[in-house]
Amino acid sequence: MSVKWFGKRMVMGTIVLLVISFLSFFIMHLAPGDPATAFYGGNAQTLNTAEKERISRAFSLDRPVIEQYGLWLKEILQGNLGYSSKEGRPVTVILLERLPNTLLLFGVTLFFIIIGSLWLGTVAGMQKGSLWDKGLSTISIATSSIPSFWLGILFISFFSVKLGILPSSGTGEVGGDGGILDKLRHLIMPAAVIILTHTGIYARFLQESIKAETSKYYVMVAKANGVLEREIRKGVLRNASIPYLNYIGMTIPSFFGGSIIVESLFSWAGLGQLLVKAVMMKDFPLIMGGILFTGLLVVFSLFIIDLVMYAVDPKLRKGAYSR
Amino acid sequence: MKSRKVLLFWCVVLGLIVIMTAFAGLFSTHAPNDMDMDKIYVPPGENHLLGTDHLGRDVFSRLLEGGKVTLTVAGVSVFLSLVIGVLYGGISGYVGGYVDVVMMRFLEALITIPSLILILAFQAFMQGGMWSMALIIGITGWLVTARIVRSEFIRLKEAEFVKMAIMFGTPVWKIIFGHMLRNSVPAIFVVTLFNFAGAVFIEVSLSFLGIGVPPAIPSWGNMLYYAQNDILIGAWWIGLFPGIMIFITILSINFIGEALKDPGRRRLNA
Repeated sequence: MSVKWFGKRMVMGTIVLLVISFLSFFIMHLAPGDPATAFYGGNAQTLNTAEKERISRAFSLDRPVIEQYGLWLKEILQGNLGYSSKEGRPVTVILLERLPNTLLLFGVTLFFIIIGSLWLGTVAGMQKGSLWDKGLSTISIATSSIPSFWLGILFISFFSVKLGILPSSGTGEVGGDGGILDKLRHLIMPAAVIILTHTGIYARFLQESIKAETSKYYVMVAKANGVLEREIRKGVLRNASIPYLNYIGMTIPSFFGGSIIVESLFSWAGLGQLLVKAVMMKDFPLIMGGILFTGLLVVFSLFIIDLVMYAVDPKLRKGAYSR
Repeated sequence: MKSRKVLLFWCVVLGLIVIMTAFAGLFSTHAPNDMDMDKIYVPPGENHLLGTDHLGRDVFSRLLEGGKVTLTVAGVSVFLSLVIGVLYGGISGYVGGYVDVVMMRFLEALITIPSLILILAFQAFMQGGMWSMALIIGITGWLVTARIVRSEFIRLKEAEFVKMAIMFGTPVWKIIFGHMLRNSVPAIFVVTLFNFAGAVFIEVSLSFLGIGVPPAIPSWGNMLYYAQNDILIGAWWIGLFPGIMIFITILSINFIGEALKDPGRRRLNA
Protein backbone atom coordinates (compact mmCIF):
# COMPACT_ATOMS: atom_id res chain seq x y z
CA MET A 1 0.00 0.00 0.00
CA SER A 2 2.67 2.41 1.00
CA VAL A 3 4.59 1.97 -2.24
CA LYS A 4 1.49 2.93 -4.16
CA TRP A 5 0.94 5.97 -1.95
CA PHE A 6 4.50 7.19 -2.40
CA GLY A 7 4.29 6.53 -6.11
CA LYS A 8 1.18 8.69 -6.33
CA ARG A 9 2.88 11.51 -4.45
CA MET A 10 5.93 11.32 -6.68
CA VAL A 11 3.81 11.45 -9.83
CA MET A 12 1.91 14.44 -8.46
CA GLY A 13 5.16 16.20 -7.62
CA THR A 14 6.51 15.57 -11.10
CA ILE A 15 3.32 16.91 -12.67
CA VAL A 16 3.57 20.03 -10.54
CA LEU A 17 7.16 20.59 -11.62
CA LEU A 18 6.23 20.07 -15.27
CA VAL A 19 3.43 22.63 -15.01
CA ILE A 20 5.79 25.08 -13.34
CA SER A 21 8.44 24.59 -16.00
CA PHE A 22 5.80 24.98 -18.68
CA LEU A 23 4.52 28.19 -17.13
CA SER A 24 7.91 29.74 -16.53
CA PHE A 25 8.92 28.96 -20.11
CA PHE A 26 5.78 30.31 -21.72
CA ILE A 27 5.47 33.37 -19.55
CA MET A 28 8.89 34.35 -20.75
CA HIS A 29 7.97 33.42 -24.27
CA LEU A 30 4.95 35.70 -24.14
CA ALA A 31 7.21 38.61 -23.33
CA PRO A 32 6.85 41.29 -26.00
CA GLY A 33 9.63 41.83 -28.54
CA ASP A 34 11.59 39.08 -30.23
CA PRO A 35 13.27 36.58 -27.92
CA ALA A 36 16.76 37.66 -28.92
CA THR A 37 15.98 41.13 -27.63
CA ALA A 38 14.46 39.70 -24.49
CA PHE A 39 17.55 37.67 -23.76
CA TYR A 40 19.88 40.58 -24.35
CA GLY A 41 17.81 43.15 -22.51
CA GLY A 42 18.95 46.73 -22.81
CA ASN A 43 21.94 45.95 -25.02
CA ALA A 44 19.72 44.70 -27.83
CA GLN A 45 19.65 48.01 -29.73
CA THR A 46 23.31 47.68 -30.60
CA LEU A 47 22.73 44.43 -32.51
CA ASN A 48 22.30 44.42 -36.28
CA THR A 49 20.11 42.01 -38.24
CA ALA A 50 22.83 39.51 -39.07
CA GLU A 51 23.92 39.32 -35.47
CA LYS A 52 20.33 38.87 -34.32
CA GLU A 53 19.92 35.99 -36.74
CA ARG A 54 23.11 34.40 -35.48
CA ILE A 55 21.89 34.70 -31.90
CA SER A 56 18.52 33.24 -32.83
CA ARG A 57 20.25 30.25 -34.37
CA ALA A 58 22.66 29.82 -31.48
CA PHE A 59 19.81 29.66 -28.98
CA SER A 60 17.55 27.65 -31.34
CA LEU A 61 15.11 30.54 -31.31
CA ASP A 62 14.20 29.88 -34.95
CA ARG A 63 12.59 26.53 -34.16
CA PRO A 64 8.90 25.99 -33.27
CA VAL A 65 7.92 26.88 -29.70
CA ILE A 66 7.16 23.33 -28.58
CA GLU A 67 10.51 22.16 -29.84
CA GLN A 68 12.19 25.00 -28.00
CA TYR A 69 10.43 23.97 -24.82
CA GLY A 70 11.57 20.38 -25.30
CA LEU A 71 15.16 21.44 -25.86
CA TRP A 72 15.01 23.73 -22.84
CA LEU A 73 13.57 20.99 -20.66
CA LYS A 74 16.28 18.59 -21.76
CA GLU A 75 18.98 21.04 -20.78
CA ILE A 76 17.32 21.66 -17.44
CA LEU A 77 17.16 17.99 -16.60
CA GLN A 78 20.93 17.97 -17.09
CA GLY A 79 21.22 20.81 -14.58
CA ASN A 80 21.86 23.54 -17.13
CA LEU A 81 19.63 26.53 -16.47
CA GLY A 82 21.47 28.79 -18.90
CA TYR A 83 23.46 31.91 -18.23
CA SER A 84 22.33 35.05 -16.45
CA SER A 85 22.03 37.76 -19.06
CA LYS A 86 23.31 40.39 -16.63
CA GLU A 87 26.06 38.60 -14.75
CA GLY A 88 27.13 36.16 -17.45
CA ARG A 89 27.56 33.39 -14.90
CA PRO A 90 25.60 30.11 -15.00
CA VAL A 91 22.17 30.50 -13.38
CA THR A 92 22.62 27.26 -11.45
CA VAL A 93 25.75 28.61 -9.75
CA ILE A 94 24.05 31.88 -8.79
CA LEU A 95 21.01 30.08 -7.41
CA LEU A 96 23.08 27.60 -5.43
CA GLU A 97 25.00 30.47 -3.84
CA ARG A 98 21.75 31.90 -2.54
CA LEU A 99 20.18 28.62 -1.49
CA PRO A 100 21.82 28.25 1.97
CA ASN A 101 20.60 31.68 3.11
CA THR A 102 17.03 30.99 2.04
CA LEU A 103 17.09 27.56 3.64
CA LEU A 104 18.48 29.03 6.85
CA LEU A 105 15.76 31.67 7.08
CA PHE A 106 13.07 29.20 6.04
CA GLY A 107 14.24 26.51 8.44
CA VAL A 108 14.64 28.78 11.45
CA THR A 109 11.30 30.53 10.98
CA LEU A 110 9.37 27.33 10.28
CA PHE A 111 10.95 25.66 13.32
CA PHE A 112 9.91 28.45 15.68
CA ILE A 113 6.49 28.81 14.08
CA ILE A 114 5.79 25.11 14.57
CA ILE A 115 7.10 25.08 18.15
CA GLY A 116 5.20 28.26 19.03
CA SER A 117 1.95 27.29 17.39
CA LEU A 118 2.05 23.78 18.87
CA TRP A 119 2.43 25.25 22.32
CA LEU A 120 -0.11 28.06 21.99
CA GLY A 121 -2.60 25.97 20.06
CA THR A 122 -2.50 23.10 22.51
CA VAL A 123 -2.84 25.33 25.56
CA ALA A 124 -5.73 27.25 24.03
CA GLY A 125 -7.45 24.25 22.50
CA MET A 126 -7.39 22.14 25.64
CA GLN A 127 -9.00 24.82 27.80
CA LYS A 128 -12.17 25.50 25.90
CA GLY A 129 -13.81 28.79 26.84
CA SER A 130 -10.82 30.02 28.84
CA LEU A 131 -9.10 33.35 28.41
CA TRP A 132 -6.38 31.60 26.40
CA ASP A 133 -8.95 30.19 24.05
CA LYS A 134 -10.72 33.46 23.34
CA GLY A 135 -7.53 35.52 23.37
CA LEU A 136 -5.79 33.39 20.80
CA SER A 137 -8.77 33.47 18.44
CA THR A 138 -8.63 37.26 18.33
CA ILE A 139 -4.89 37.81 18.50
CA SER A 140 -4.17 35.31 15.74
CA ILE A 141 -6.43 37.18 13.34
CA ALA A 142 -4.84 40.45 14.36
CA THR A 143 -1.25 39.28 13.91
CA SER A 144 -1.96 37.65 10.58
CA SER A 145 -3.41 40.94 9.31
CA ILE A 146 -0.13 42.79 9.84
CA PRO A 147 1.87 43.07 6.63
CA SER A 148 5.16 41.41 7.57
CA PHE A 149 7.28 43.94 5.71
CA TRP A 150 5.60 46.82 7.48
CA LEU A 151 6.40 45.23 10.81
CA GLY A 152 9.92 44.95 9.44
CA ILE A 153 10.03 48.69 8.72
CA LEU A 154 8.88 49.40 12.25
CA PHE A 155 11.50 47.03 13.61
CA ILE A 156 14.24 48.73 11.59
CA SER A 157 13.13 52.12 12.79
CA PHE A 158 13.17 50.95 16.39
CA PHE A 159 16.00 48.46 16.75
CA SER A 160 18.38 49.81 14.11
CA VAL A 161 17.74 53.54 13.94
CA LYS A 162 16.71 54.33 17.50
CA LEU A 163 18.52 51.74 19.57
CA GLY A 164 21.18 50.82 17.04
CA ILE A 165 21.56 47.29 18.36
CA LEU A 166 20.66 45.26 15.27
CA PRO A 167 21.84 45.64 11.65
CA SER A 168 19.09 46.85 9.32
CA SER A 169 20.22 44.89 6.28
CA GLY A 170 22.62 42.31 4.97
CA THR A 171 23.22 38.65 5.57
CA GLY A 172 26.48 38.51 7.53
CA GLU A 173 29.32 36.17 6.71
CA VAL A 174 30.11 33.20 8.87
CA GLY A 175 33.70 33.39 7.70
CA GLY A 176 33.87 37.18 8.27
CA ASP A 177 34.97 39.15 11.32
CA GLY A 178 31.88 38.50 13.38
CA GLY A 179 31.77 34.77 12.76
CA ILE A 180 28.55 32.89 13.45
CA LEU A 181 27.35 35.54 15.90
CA ASP A 182 27.31 38.13 13.14
CA LYS A 183 25.13 35.90 11.00
CA LEU A 184 22.75 35.37 13.91
CA ARG A 185 22.53 39.10 14.53
CA HIS A 186 21.49 39.60 10.92
CA LEU A 187 19.03 36.74 11.13
CA ILE A 188 17.14 37.97 14.21
CA MET A 189 14.99 40.67 12.64
CA PRO A 190 13.88 38.99 9.41
CA ALA A 191 13.13 35.79 11.28
CA ALA A 192 11.30 37.57 14.10
CA VAL A 193 9.10 39.45 11.63
CA ILE A 194 8.04 36.27 9.85
CA ILE A 195 7.55 34.32 13.07
CA LEU A 196 5.44 37.03 14.72
CA THR A 197 3.11 37.43 11.75
CA HIS A 198 2.66 33.72 11.09
CA THR A 199 2.61 31.83 14.40
CA GLY A 200 -0.85 33.04 15.41
CA ILE A 201 -2.73 31.72 12.43
CA TYR A 202 -1.12 28.28 12.66
CA ALA A 203 -1.79 28.14 16.39
CA ARG A 204 -5.41 29.04 15.74
CA PHE A 205 -5.78 26.27 13.24
CA LEU A 206 -4.43 23.71 15.69
CA GLN A 207 -6.65 25.13 18.42
CA GLU A 208 -9.77 24.74 16.27
CA SER A 209 -8.84 21.25 15.27
CA ILE A 210 -8.16 20.23 18.90
CA LYS A 211 -11.50 21.68 19.91
CA ALA A 212 -13.25 19.75 17.17
CA GLU A 213 -11.46 16.59 18.22
CA THR A 214 -12.24 16.88 21.95
CA SER A 215 -15.96 17.10 21.26
CA LYS A 216 -15.93 13.77 19.44
CA TYR A 217 -17.60 10.68 20.78
CA TYR A 218 -14.49 8.62 21.45
CA VAL A 219 -13.14 11.24 23.86
CA MET A 220 -16.35 11.13 25.87
CA VAL A 221 -16.26 7.35 26.01
CA ALA A 222 -12.61 7.39 27.06
CA LYS A 223 -13.43 9.87 29.82
CA ALA A 224 -16.41 7.82 30.98
CA ASN A 225 -14.24 4.73 31.18
CA GLY A 226 -11.76 6.59 33.35
CA VAL A 227 -8.87 6.74 30.91
CA LEU A 228 -6.12 8.98 32.25
CA GLU A 229 -6.41 12.62 31.19
CA ARG A 230 -2.82 12.46 29.99
CA GLU A 231 -3.59 9.53 27.71
CA ILE A 232 -6.64 11.24 26.24
CA ARG A 233 -4.62 14.36 25.64
CA LYS A 234 -2.02 12.37 23.74
CA GLY A 235 -4.64 10.80 21.51
CA VAL A 236 -6.46 14.04 20.84
CA LEU A 237 -3.26 15.86 20.00
CA ARG A 238 -2.18 13.14 17.65
CA ASN A 239 -5.47 13.16 15.77
CA ALA A 240 -5.65 16.94 15.72
CA SER A 241 -2.14 17.23 14.33
CA ILE A 242 -3.12 15.64 11.02
CA PRO A 243 -5.27 18.50 9.69
CA TYR A 244 -2.67 20.84 11.18
CA LEU A 245 0.11 19.26 9.17
CA ASN A 246 -2.10 19.36 6.11
CA TYR A 247 -2.62 23.07 6.70
CA ILE A 248 1.12 23.70 6.94
CA GLY A 249 1.55 21.91 3.65
CA MET A 250 -1.18 23.97 2.04
CA THR A 251 0.27 27.27 3.19
CA ILE A 252 3.90 26.59 2.34
CA PRO A 253 3.63 28.21 -1.11
CA SER A 254 2.29 31.48 0.30
CA PHE A 255 4.87 31.23 3.07
CA PHE A 256 7.58 31.25 0.41
CA GLY A 257 5.91 34.20 -1.24
CA GLY A 258 5.89 36.17 1.98
CA SER A 259 9.55 35.50 2.65
CA ILE A 260 10.44 37.06 -0.72
CA ILE A 261 9.35 40.44 0.54
CA VAL A 262 10.99 40.11 3.92
CA GLU A 263 14.23 39.02 2.24
CA SER A 264 14.14 42.08 0.01
CA LEU A 265 13.41 44.44 2.89
CA PHE A 266 16.36 43.24 4.94
CA SER A 267 18.59 42.66 1.90
CA TRP A 268 18.86 39.07 3.04
CA ALA A 269 20.85 37.46 0.22
CA GLY A 270 18.40 34.66 -0.46
CA LEU A 271 16.49 33.38 -3.48
CA GLY A 272 13.59 35.77 -2.97
CA GLN A 273 15.72 38.88 -3.02
CA LEU A 274 17.56 37.51 -6.07
CA LEU A 275 14.29 36.94 -7.88
CA VAL A 276 13.03 40.46 -7.20
CA LYS A 277 16.31 41.89 -8.47
CA ALA A 278 16.14 39.68 -11.55
CA VAL A 279 12.63 40.96 -12.29
CA MET A 280 13.75 44.56 -11.98
CA MET A 281 16.75 43.97 -14.26
CA LYS A 282 14.67 41.85 -16.66
CA ASP A 283 17.19 39.06 -16.40
CA PHE A 284 14.98 36.41 -17.98
CA PRO A 285 17.14 33.28 -17.66
CA LEU A 286 17.58 34.05 -13.97
CA ILE A 287 13.83 34.59 -13.48
CA MET A 288 13.01 31.29 -15.17
CA GLY A 289 15.63 29.47 -13.14
CA GLY A 290 14.48 31.14 -9.93
CA ILE A 291 10.85 30.17 -10.49
CA LEU A 292 11.81 26.58 -11.21
CA PHE A 293 14.08 26.43 -8.20
CA THR A 294 11.42 27.80 -5.86
CA GLY A 295 8.94 25.31 -7.29
CA LEU A 296 11.42 22.55 -6.59
CA LEU A 297 11.83 23.75 -3.01
CA VAL A 298 8.07 23.86 -2.47
CA VAL A 299 7.56 20.38 -3.91
CA PHE A 300 10.40 19.06 -1.79
CA SER A 301 9.07 20.55 1.44
CA LEU A 302 5.59 19.26 0.65
CA PHE A 303 7.11 15.83 0.24
CA ILE A 304 8.75 16.08 3.66
CA ILE A 305 5.43 17.06 5.22
CA ASP A 306 3.83 14.08 3.51
CA LEU A 307 6.46 11.86 5.08
CA VAL A 308 5.73 13.28 8.54
CA MET A 309 2.01 12.82 8.02
CA TYR A 310 2.63 9.30 6.94
CA ALA A 311 4.48 8.63 10.17
CA VAL A 312 1.79 10.24 12.35
CA ASP A 313 -1.36 8.95 10.69
CA PRO A 314 -1.86 5.19 10.85
CA LYS A 315 -4.87 5.45 8.54
CA LEU A 316 -2.60 6.63 5.78
CA ARG A 317 -0.32 3.66 6.31
CA LYS A 318 -3.24 1.25 6.11
CA GLY A 319 -4.35 2.91 2.91
CA ALA A 320 -7.68 4.18 4.18
CA TYR A 321 -7.57 7.29 2.02
CA SER A 322 -6.65 5.67 -1.26
CA ARG A 323 -9.34 6.20 -3.80
CA MET B 1 -25.86 38.45 19.77
CA LYS B 2 -22.42 39.66 20.73
CA SER B 3 -20.84 38.41 17.54
CA ARG B 4 -23.45 40.33 15.57
CA LYS B 5 -22.31 43.58 17.14
CA VAL B 6 -18.69 42.73 16.40
CA LEU B 7 -19.63 42.07 12.80
CA LEU B 8 -21.46 45.37 12.57
CA PHE B 9 -18.52 47.23 14.10
CA TRP B 10 -16.03 45.89 11.57
CA CYS B 11 -18.44 46.51 8.69
CA VAL B 12 -18.66 50.14 9.77
CA VAL B 13 -14.86 50.41 9.99
CA LEU B 14 -14.42 48.96 6.53
CA GLY B 15 -17.23 51.11 5.19
CA LEU B 16 -15.58 54.24 6.58
CA ILE B 17 -12.28 53.37 4.94
CA VAL B 18 -13.93 52.69 1.61
CA ILE B 19 -15.95 55.91 1.71
CA MET B 20 -13.00 58.03 2.84
CA THR B 21 -10.81 56.72 0.04
CA ALA B 22 -13.50 56.66 -2.65
CA PHE B 23 -14.28 60.33 -2.05
CA ALA B 24 -10.67 61.21 -1.36
CA GLY B 25 -11.10 64.60 -3.00
CA LEU B 26 -13.66 65.71 -0.44
CA PHE B 27 -11.68 64.79 2.65
CA SER B 28 -8.11 65.55 1.66
CA THR B 29 -6.62 68.84 2.78
CA HIS B 30 -4.05 69.17 -0.02
CA ALA B 31 -3.70 67.92 -3.57
CA PRO B 32 -2.03 64.52 -3.27
CA ASN B 33 0.75 65.33 -5.73
CA ASP B 34 1.41 68.93 -4.69
CA MET B 35 5.06 69.33 -3.81
CA ASP B 36 6.29 71.95 -1.40
CA MET B 37 10.06 71.88 -1.21
CA ASP B 38 10.13 74.30 1.72
CA LYS B 39 8.21 71.88 3.83
CA ILE B 40 9.82 68.50 3.49
CA TYR B 41 9.69 66.03 6.36
CA VAL B 42 7.31 68.13 8.42
CA PRO B 43 6.18 66.06 11.41
CA PRO B 44 2.43 65.57 11.99
CA GLY B 45 0.93 68.85 13.14
CA GLU B 46 -1.64 71.52 12.47
CA ASN B 47 -1.37 72.31 8.78
CA HIS B 48 -0.31 68.83 7.76
CA LEU B 49 -2.37 66.40 9.75
CA LEU B 50 -0.02 63.47 9.25
CA GLY B 51 3.10 65.38 8.18
CA THR B 52 4.79 65.57 4.78
CA ASP B 53 7.12 63.28 2.87
CA HIS B 54 10.48 63.75 1.14
CA LEU B 55 8.97 65.99 -1.54
CA GLY B 56 6.83 68.00 0.84
CA ARG B 57 3.62 66.23 -0.15
CA ASP B 58 0.85 65.93 2.42
CA VAL B 59 0.83 62.40 3.83
CA PHE B 60 -2.85 62.47 4.84
CA SER B 61 -4.06 63.40 1.36
CA ARG B 62 -1.76 60.86 -0.24
CA LEU B 63 -3.03 58.25 2.20
CA LEU B 64 -6.62 58.74 1.00
CA GLU B 65 -5.66 58.91 -2.68
CA GLY B 66 -3.39 55.89 -2.25
CA GLY B 67 -6.19 53.97 -0.62
CA LYS B 68 -8.34 54.61 -3.64
CA VAL B 69 -5.68 53.12 -5.91
CA THR B 70 -4.99 50.14 -3.66
CA LEU B 71 -8.64 49.30 -3.11
CA THR B 72 -9.49 49.77 -6.79
CA VAL B 73 -6.72 47.42 -7.89
CA ALA B 74 -7.82 44.89 -5.29
CA GLY B 75 -11.51 45.26 -6.21
CA VAL B 76 -11.02 44.86 -9.93
CA SER B 77 -8.69 41.91 -9.51
CA VAL B 78 -11.07 40.19 -7.12
CA PHE B 79 -13.94 40.62 -9.55
CA LEU B 80 -11.82 39.08 -12.29
CA SER B 81 -10.76 36.14 -10.15
CA LEU B 82 -14.37 35.67 -9.08
CA VAL B 83 -15.50 35.30 -12.69
CA ILE B 84 -12.68 32.93 -13.61
CA GLY B 85 -13.07 30.95 -10.40
CA VAL B 86 -16.82 30.49 -10.76
CA LEU B 87 -16.46 29.41 -14.38
CA TYR B 88 -13.60 26.99 -13.73
CA GLY B 89 -15.02 25.55 -10.53
CA GLY B 90 -18.53 25.44 -11.92
CA ILE B 91 -17.52 23.50 -15.01
CA SER B 92 -15.34 21.15 -13.01
CA GLY B 93 -18.01 20.52 -10.41
CA TYR B 94 -20.99 20.28 -12.74
CA VAL B 95 -19.46 18.14 -15.47
CA GLY B 96 -17.57 15.87 -13.06
CA GLY B 97 -15.91 12.64 -14.14
CA TYR B 98 -12.64 12.79 -16.02
CA VAL B 99 -12.97 16.48 -16.77
CA ASP B 100 -13.17 17.13 -13.04
CA VAL B 101 -10.14 14.96 -12.28
CA VAL B 102 -7.97 16.64 -14.91
CA MET B 103 -9.09 20.14 -14.01
CA MET B 104 -8.52 19.56 -10.30
CA ARG B 105 -5.06 18.05 -10.80
CA PHE B 106 -4.10 21.09 -12.85
CA LEU B 107 -5.49 23.33 -10.12
CA GLU B 108 -3.52 21.47 -7.44
CA ALA B 109 -0.35 21.98 -9.43
CA LEU B 110 -1.07 25.70 -9.77
CA ILE B 111 -1.80 26.06 -6.06
CA THR B 112 1.64 24.67 -5.29
CA ILE B 113 3.32 27.61 -7.02
CA PRO B 114 3.68 30.63 -4.76
CA SER B 115 1.36 33.11 -6.48
CA LEU B 116 3.66 35.99 -5.69
CA ILE B 117 6.35 34.37 -7.81
CA LEU B 118 3.99 33.96 -10.75
CA ILE B 119 3.03 37.59 -10.39
CA LEU B 120 6.67 38.61 -10.30
CA ALA B 121 7.24 36.74 -13.54
CA PHE B 122 4.33 38.53 -15.18
CA GLN B 123 5.50 41.86 -13.83
CA ALA B 124 8.88 41.32 -15.50
CA PHE B 125 7.43 42.21 -18.88
CA MET B 126 4.09 43.79 -18.09
CA GLN B 127 5.18 46.68 -15.91
CA GLY B 128 2.35 48.94 -16.89
CA GLY B 129 -0.11 50.95 -14.89
CA MET B 130 -2.49 49.91 -12.19
CA TRP B 131 -4.87 48.15 -14.57
CA SER B 132 -2.31 45.63 -15.68
CA MET B 133 -1.55 45.04 -12.01
CA ALA B 134 -5.21 44.33 -11.35
CA LEU B 135 -5.25 42.00 -14.35
CA ILE B 136 -2.23 40.06 -13.13
CA ILE B 137 -3.50 39.71 -9.58
CA GLY B 138 -6.89 38.67 -10.94
CA ILE B 139 -5.63 35.93 -13.23
CA THR B 140 -3.46 34.43 -10.51
CA GLY B 141 -5.96 34.67 -7.65
CA TRP B 142 -8.91 32.52 -8.72
CA LEU B 143 -7.65 29.13 -7.50
CA VAL B 144 -9.30 29.01 -4.09
CA THR B 145 -12.57 30.39 -5.46
CA ALA B 146 -12.64 27.66 -8.08
CA ARG B 147 -12.05 25.03 -5.43
CA ILE B 148 -14.89 26.30 -3.25
CA VAL B 149 -17.32 26.63 -6.16
CA ARG B 150 -16.50 23.12 -7.28
CA SER B 151 -17.10 21.59 -3.85
CA GLU B 152 -20.34 23.57 -3.46
CA PHE B 153 -21.53 22.39 -6.87
CA ILE B 154 -20.71 18.79 -6.09
CA ARG B 155 -22.54 19.06 -2.78
CA LEU B 156 -25.57 20.75 -4.34
CA LYS B 157 -25.73 18.32 -7.22
CA GLU B 158 -26.65 15.65 -4.68
CA ALA B 159 -29.15 17.89 -2.87
CA GLU B 160 -32.75 16.78 -3.06
CA PHE B 161 -34.16 19.95 -4.54
CA VAL B 162 -31.70 19.83 -7.42
CA LYS B 163 -32.51 16.19 -8.12
CA MET B 164 -36.16 17.11 -8.01
CA ALA B 165 -35.63 19.97 -10.43
CA ILE B 166 -33.83 17.64 -12.82
CA MET B 167 -36.69 15.20 -12.53
CA PHE B 168 -39.20 17.91 -13.38
CA GLY B 169 -37.24 18.71 -16.50
CA THR B 170 -36.06 22.17 -15.46
CA PRO B 171 -33.74 23.64 -18.11
CA VAL B 172 -30.04 23.10 -17.37
CA TRP B 173 -29.17 26.79 -17.28
CA LYS B 174 -31.91 27.36 -14.73
CA ILE B 175 -30.54 24.60 -12.52
CA ILE B 176 -27.00 25.94 -12.80
CA PHE B 177 -27.84 29.57 -12.11
CA GLY B 178 -31.07 29.46 -10.15
CA HIS B 179 -30.39 26.45 -7.99
CA MET B 180 -26.70 25.77 -7.73
CA LEU B 181 -24.96 29.10 -8.18
CA ARG B 182 -27.51 30.94 -6.11
CA ASN B 183 -27.13 28.54 -3.22
CA SER B 184 -23.33 28.75 -3.37
CA VAL B 185 -23.43 32.52 -2.93
CA PRO B 186 -22.74 32.54 0.85
CA ALA B 187 -19.63 30.39 0.45
CA ILE B 188 -18.46 32.33 -2.60
CA PHE B 189 -18.98 35.60 -0.78
CA VAL B 190 -16.77 34.57 2.13
CA VAL B 191 -13.96 33.32 -0.08
CA THR B 192 -14.18 36.48 -2.19
CA LEU B 193 -13.87 38.57 0.93
CA PHE B 194 -10.69 36.76 1.92
CA ASN B 195 -9.49 37.07 -1.67
CA PHE B 196 -9.95 40.80 -1.41
CA ALA B 197 -7.73 40.94 1.66
CA GLY B 198 -5.20 38.83 -0.21
CA ALA B 199 -5.31 41.14 -3.22
CA VAL B 200 -4.69 44.19 -1.03
CA PHE B 201 -1.75 42.33 0.44
CA ILE B 202 -0.30 41.53 -2.98
CA GLU B 203 -0.71 45.03 -4.38
CA VAL B 204 0.92 46.48 -1.32
CA SER B 205 3.74 43.96 -1.42
CA LEU B 206 4.51 44.50 -5.09
CA SER B 207 4.41 48.26 -4.87
CA PHE B 208 6.55 48.01 -1.78
CA LEU B 209 9.14 46.07 -3.75
CA GLY B 210 9.09 48.86 -6.32
CA ILE B 211 7.63 46.72 -9.11
CA GLY B 212 3.93 47.38 -8.67
CA VAL B 213 1.93 50.51 -9.34
CA PRO B 214 4.13 53.13 -11.07
CA PRO B 215 5.74 55.57 -8.61
CA ALA B 216 3.81 58.56 -9.96
CA ILE B 217 0.52 57.12 -8.67
CA PRO B 218 0.26 57.09 -4.89
CA SER B 219 -0.72 53.77 -3.35
CA TRP B 220 -0.27 52.40 0.15
CA GLY B 221 2.46 50.10 -1.05
CA ASN B 222 4.25 52.88 -2.92
CA MET B 223 4.21 55.06 0.15
CA LEU B 224 5.81 52.29 2.16
CA TYR B 225 8.42 51.85 -0.55
CA TYR B 226 9.66 55.40 -0.05
CA ALA B 227 9.22 55.13 3.70
CA GLN B 228 12.05 52.58 3.75
CA ASN B 229 14.59 55.36 3.27
CA ASP B 230 12.72 57.99 5.23
CA ILE B 231 12.64 55.81 8.28
CA LEU B 232 16.43 55.67 8.39
CA ILE B 233 16.54 59.43 8.94
CA GLY B 234 13.85 59.24 11.58
CA ALA B 235 10.74 60.28 9.61
CA TRP B 236 8.57 57.57 11.16
CA TRP B 237 5.19 59.06 10.21
CA ILE B 238 5.59 58.37 6.49
CA GLY B 239 5.81 54.64 7.05
CA LEU B 240 3.56 54.29 10.05
CA PHE B 241 0.22 55.54 8.72
CA PRO B 242 -0.05 53.65 5.42
CA GLY B 243 0.82 50.50 7.35
CA ILE B 244 -1.89 51.20 9.91
CA MET B 245 -4.42 51.72 7.12
CA ILE B 246 -3.44 48.43 5.47
CA PHE B 247 -3.57 46.70 8.83
CA ILE B 248 -7.03 48.01 9.72
CA THR B 249 -8.42 47.25 6.26
CA ILE B 250 -7.19 43.67 6.27
CA LEU B 251 -8.14 43.24 9.92
CA SER B 252 -11.73 44.32 9.36
CA ILE B 253 -12.06 42.10 6.29
CA ASN B 254 -10.68 39.15 8.24
CA PHE B 255 -13.04 39.70 11.16
CA ILE B 256 -16.04 40.08 8.86
CA GLY B 257 -15.03 36.96 6.98
CA GLU B 258 -14.49 35.04 10.21
CA ALA B 259 -17.95 36.04 11.49
CA LEU B 260 -19.64 35.02 8.25
CA LYS B 261 -17.66 31.81 7.97
CA ASP B 262 -19.29 30.53 11.14
CA PRO B 263 -21.20 27.51 9.84
CA GLY B 264 -24.10 28.06 12.26
CA ARG B 265 -24.81 31.31 10.50
CA ARG B 266 -24.97 29.71 7.08
CA ARG B 267 -28.55 29.75 5.89
CA LEU B 268 -28.28 26.65 3.87
CA ASN B 269 -27.06 23.32 5.14
CA ALA B 270 -28.18 20.96 2.48
